[in-house]
Amino acid sequence: MSEVTSPAVAGPAAGTVLDRPVMSVDDVSVGFGPKTVLNGIGLPIERGSITALIGPTGCGKSTLLRSLNRMNDKIRGYWRRGRIELEGQDVADSSTDLLSLRRRVGMVFQRPNPFPMSIRDNVVAGVRAHGMASRSELTDVAERYLKEVSLWGAVADRLGDSPFRLSGGQQQLLCLARSLAVEPDVLLLDEPTSSLDPVTTEIVEDLLRNLVPDVTIVIVTHNLAQAKRVSNTTAFLYNGHLVEAGETSQIFDNPEQPETVSYIGGRIG
Amino acid sequence: MTVGATVSKTDTDLPTAAPSQSGGGGGGPDPGAHDPSGGGPAGPGAGQEKWWRGERLGPQVLRVVTHLPLIVLVLIMAALIWKAIPAIRYNGFGFFGRSVWNFGNLYAPILHTHGVAHPPGALYGALPLILGTIGSSAIAMVLALPVGVGTALVVVEKLPPRLSYGIGFCLEILAGVPSVVIGLWGFLTLGPFLMHHVATLWANHVPDVPVLRFFRGPTGNGQGLLTSGVILAMMIVPIIAATTRDLLRQVPRGTVEGAVALGMTDAEAANTVTIPWVRSGVIGASMLGLGRALGETIAVAMVSGVLVGSPIRSLYSAFSTIAATIVSQLDGAFTDASGLAVATLAELALVLLVITLLANVGARLLVRRVATTALPVGRGI
Ligand SMILES: Nc1ncnc2c1ncn2[C@@H]1O[C@H](COP(=O)(O)OP(=O)(O)OP(=O)(O)O)[C@@H](O)[C@H]1O
Ligand SMILES: [Mg+2]
Repeated sequence: MSEVTSPAVAGPAAGTVLDRPVMSVDDVSVGFGPKTVLNGIGLPIERGSITALIGPTGCGKSTLLRSLNRMNDKIRGYWRRGRIELEGQDVADSSTDLLSLRRRVGMVFQRPNPFPMSIRDNVVAGVRAHGMASRSELTDVAERYLKEVSLWGAVADRLGDSPFRLSGGQQQLLCLARSLAVEPDVLLLDEPTSSLDPVTTEIVEDLLRNLVPDVTIVIVTHNLAQAKRVSNTTAFLYNGHLVEAGETSQIFDNPEQPETVSYIGGRIG
Repeated sequence: MTVGATVSKTDTDLPTAAPSQSGGGGGGPDPGAHDPSGGGPAGPGAGQEKWWRGERLGPQVLRVVTHLPLIVLVLIMAALIWKAIPAIRYNGFGFFGRSVWNFGNLYAPILHTHGVAHPPGALYGALPLILGTIGSSAIAMVLALPVGVGTALVVVEKLPPRLSYGIGFCLEILAGVPSVVIGLWGFLTLGPFLMHHVATLWANHVPDVPVLRFFRGPTGNGQGLLTSGVILAMMIVPIIAATTRDLLRQVPRGTVEGAVALGMTDAEAANTVTIPWVRSGVIGASMLGLGRALGETIAVAMVSGVLVGSPIRSLYSAFSTIAATIVSQLDGAFTDASGLAVATLAELALVLLVITLLANVGARLLVRRVATTALPVGRGI
């Protein structure tokens, strides 16, 4: 039912890393109670690449993304069939440690969600929880990641301040820094720039491009231009089905499925 | 309009501001008092002049109304001080250090000392009453805080909506039970049960050393410090639980998810997000409860054993609080023709008022400290 054109593209540094996809979604169906939201999705997520998930609202992009790091587990009625693997191991395996899975597969949300603690503590919250740095190193860690997301200049002199006094865009950069600080292998982003202005959006996109190939990125976006700008691979979801996935340039310039053609042409969604 | 102004004033006083709001102007003066446009919308056309005069009058009235609580407080204080003056002069500072309550010989001729009329042998000391007030409230807080917060956590996090609605309803009922009913139940049922079946589990096994000795001894007949503390806790739990429940429901889901998505355990996520988010509000609710406990009268009078003039020997001994003493001694005090006994009760009332005020100020400072250190400033930079 879902025609998956094998995405031959791997990240820019494809030759130097393992060729096996870092994550893979294999014939996955997902739903809540009696309702099926995703139907037999199959999608390899190539190491060091940026994968964009596109599709009209309600088609299941967030549900798929949240299944990758098991954020749906606690939602009433959630069920899943098929395999979702990280490095060849099913994320739902009893031998998979849920906490370390979520550390390795980080997530940035649509709306900035800083913690009620200082800016510095926000950045290192995960680092602390996982014991990844000693107390004395925390401020250095915070500085490194704030610099990485180009927020350092704005907050250097108020690391102890409340994050709630930052602008929405700055808060989102802070959340990005917080996710990066635990050194994830895969970063999932759910419409991360939908509330940001064009300049901050560009900062985020540049950052994402700089993160690969060390970090593999999956980004949900409604902004087709953004998908085109940043991603290597694009997957188009429609009504819970993966209609088409492949090299971004191919999906945008040469889509095979009629639904893809209409969506990209602006006729669906 | 005037009602609205007073309400908004109380709102800003309540330390339940969510963290996200604490960055803004939390403590701003109520806008109503200085806002002439609030004096009533100018009706179109007719009555222009009347409205205009109303607008001028409005702020004056509002100013008086908004200061009404303060005025009432000052008036009560002044009246109490006035009534208490003879007692203050007669009892001196020793009042706070003595453990004695003696009207004196009410049948003998009245004597005069320092210009104060008193029966011969009259001697008062409030130490056990002050300690009893603070002690019973402290026991109540120690019990009610974990139970109240725990109840709220279970209701919000664990229970299905229907059940949590039911429990919320029960909490509100419990909060509304008249204290005399709780007091009678404590006297008849809870107190005897506690002393005969619960306290006996440890009361005779505690080592006889300083401090711990306080928890040792005969558990008595069911009235005393422990029973009072438990009864007071039952009155506070609904206050803390209901407030905490409402606060927990306001914690943004997405922020908790952010913590979970970092690979935090549920406990770590609670520490990172939930607790800081609700902390200042919970402290505020606790202080509301503490105020209730400090001033609770009739229930404590029923289960304390009303022992007014002796030191508190153990957790199980009969004792009394300031409030319970005032109500239990008032009748007798009027038989003192010199008026000293009544004046002493006024002095006691004054002491209670000061304790309550101090607790309130302390709460305000604590909330402010927590709000500024936990939220905008963060832990230990
Ligand atoms: N907790 C839930 N319980 C029941 N149904 C759900 C739940 N979460 C999502 N759904 C359903 O799953 C479908 C897909 O939702 P999802 O949030 O994944 O869409 P989306 O593609 O991310 O949409 P958008 O672009 O608007 O974010 C929707 O029909 C939604 O109603
Ligand atoms: Mg979504």
